[in-house]
Amino acid sequence: MPKYPDKVNLYDDRGKLFDTNVPVEALSPLKNTAIQKIISYVKQCVAVNLEGVEKALDTGEVGGKWCIIRGRSLKLDLVKNAGSVADSLKKCLQVDPDDDTEVKVLKGGKHLLVKVPAKRLNAGVEYTTGATAVAAALCCTIIENFNVNIWDADLIHAAVWGRYPQTMEMLGGNVSSLLAVPQQNEGMGYALRNIPCAHIALIAKKNAMNAAALSAILEQTAMFEMGDAIGSFERLHLLGLAYQGLNADNIVYDLVKENAKTGTLGDVVISTVKRALSDGVIKPLKKTPAGYTLYTTSDLNKWNAYAAAGLLAGTMITCGSARSMQHAPSVFIYFNDLLERETGLPGVDFGRVTGTGVEMSFFSHSIYGGGNPAVFHGNHIVTRHSKGFTIPCVAAAVALDAGTTIYTPERISGVVGEVLSEVPELRESLRYVNEAAVSIKGGV
Amino acid sequence: MVEYKPQYYPGGSNVSANRRKYIDPNYKLRKLRTISDDDLVRLMGHRVPGEAYKSVHPPLEELGEPACPIRELVEPTPGAKAGDRIRYIQFTDSVYFAPLTPYMRAWMGHMRYRGVDIGVLSGRVPLEARERDLEKVAKELVETEIFDPARVGIRGATVHGHALRLDENGLMFDALRRFQYDKNKGEVVYVKDQVGVPLDRPIYVGKPAPEEELRKITSQFRVDGEAFRNDKELIQFVQRIHMLRTEAGFDPNRVKEI
Repeated sequence: MPKYPDKVNLYDDRGKLFDTNVPVEALSPLKNTAIQKIISYVKQCVAVNLEGVEKALDTGEVGGKWCIIRGRSLKLDLVKNAGSVADSLKKCLQVDPDDDTEVKVLKGGKHLLVKVPAKRLNAGVEYTTGATAVAAALCCTIIENFNVNIWDADLIHAAVWGRYPQTMEMLGGNVSSLLAVPQQNEGMGYALRNIPCAHIALIAKKNAMNAAALSAILEQTAMFEMGDAIGSFERLHLLGLAYQGLNADNIVYDLVKENAKTGTLGDVVISTVKRALSDGVIKPLKKTPAGYTLYTTSDLNKWNAYAAAGLLAGTMITCGSARSMQHAPSVFIYFNDLLERETGLPGVDFGRVTGTGVEMSFFSHSIYGGGNPAVFHGNHIVTRHSKGFTIPCVAAAVALDAGTTIYTPERISGVVGEVLSEVPELRESLRYVNEAAVSIKGGV
Repeated sequence: MVEYKPQYYPGGSNVSANRRKYIDPNYKLRKLRTISDDDLVRLMGHRVPGEAYKSVHPPLEELGEPACPIRELVEPTPGAKAGDRIRYIQFTDSVYFAPLTPYMRAWMGHMRYRGVDIGVLSGRVPLEARERDLEKVAKELVETEIFDPARVGIRGATVHGHALRLDENGLMFDALRRFQYDKNKGEVVYVKDQVGVPLDRPIYVGKPAPEEELRKITSQFRVDGEAFRNDKELIQFVQRIHMLRTEAGFDPNRVKEI
């Protein structure tokens, strides 16, 4: 028996109806098997830059840029032998012969996509097992396959792990996970929020709908882990995930389509209000003497979800028409400002997205340093404040950029975004989450 | 469905009505002066008049866009299509009855123009867009009633002056002396571009509006003009938003029918 009465219609990223009357709880990270799989993959999947290891060994540049150990060099044909490295690595990581361990050779051996068996993660309490197991196993594999002696083994370690443990993270290493080390999380439950939008956009292969979906899944799942999506606030986050991130009732797609050719951000605000009115989410409260109509709602959580969907559509129109990511923070402030002034109801996340936009504007426009939107994430000091409703829009904006930034998403993301785009559930998360929701909808 | 007409801005004062008017994209801003395309380009200083637009990436057609349903739907602006650089025009609005407040520039700009990036600071408001799109927007911003030659400055750098006293000719302070008052013509003339590089020939931007006219068209609340506190409706509106945000932060389920 579902806790909440809400039912939604599911659509794909192109506005095609997928299924009707699906309980919103079928999209909950607590119940949706695809979301749970995505979260598992985020922990299990690790990228190896085999070409990077080979180069580091060749030049002695290990543990970060300019950090060269003169006179130390090893010429190993790792890329050429990627197939045998992958086989040995798999054997080393496996817990049982037929478990879920996977090692995939990509880009002619330059990169490896490694899936660490779930059993290894289940035997520990920290998600870092993914990266540590792969790094350690890779060292063993290289030493064994290439017959490296005791005097050179330390160089292998440095080429794979980077400067760790002198540094907190694997600085300059060649094994990377989507998740940062726990010490870099700003608070409890922030792990899934500590993933830069550059990675998300590249994993989704710059499909803005899928980028927003994956980002919303990670952000809103983090809300459960942080202690936000529970009690009085659970439904707020469930509806937010459904309507903003997963295109429930096709609102995001419809709003974009309506304003695709000539619409401004203001037009998207007006379309959002119209949609909320026609769906009965808001209604007039009273008329002021000057003739202004104040609106009210009996379901603020749903109004928030509609506003959040409008915010994403507004980002897609503004950043999409300019094919530029830098417009995103301006959208966050003024979409909400205009929406509040249009209705007399609070904007997305009750003012928190507006506030986030103000800070993000400063730190993404070279005023106080910072970087372009691709480096931002939900754990970032200036974009933490909204509870999962801002970052999906940033991810979509990054996906829509045609190349306006000096530091491109590809440069910021390095290997990890490109490699993890090989995982279908991460790349096309909307589809998989919809499928899973349909399969469990009767039993929610 | 209840009949819905966009309302743009609440409030019962003349200032609020002006705000509503400027934000409403159906209201055509009164054109007061003509600045030639070349002069506008010179004022902004991003390129030499007649020079081709520089690009930050190849045109979208050559670039080949990734498969994305949103890119397929959303028509890029002409500047984005061509791969133009993103450039800016920045304004400083004097607190002495300039037509717009900094925030108004953002509200108005996002209602009226597509694909713009507007940032609001206390003493300056940059509007960024792809270069050829920017030039189109900038033209309206400089040629119409929302630009007063004396109380609004086109300033890319050293913007200081919005809250300083006006000079003997009623002009806003400008440390770089980009604009001057031509007493013979009674017009304001720019002798430097927006970042203060001297222009090869001056650009006249017209006569400052009389004080009474500015007080009539301004969107600024001032205690010596129309005081914010006197617009009860607007104050109640702002308090309502504050109350709703706070109550919702406590428990969104309890905010019903208010």
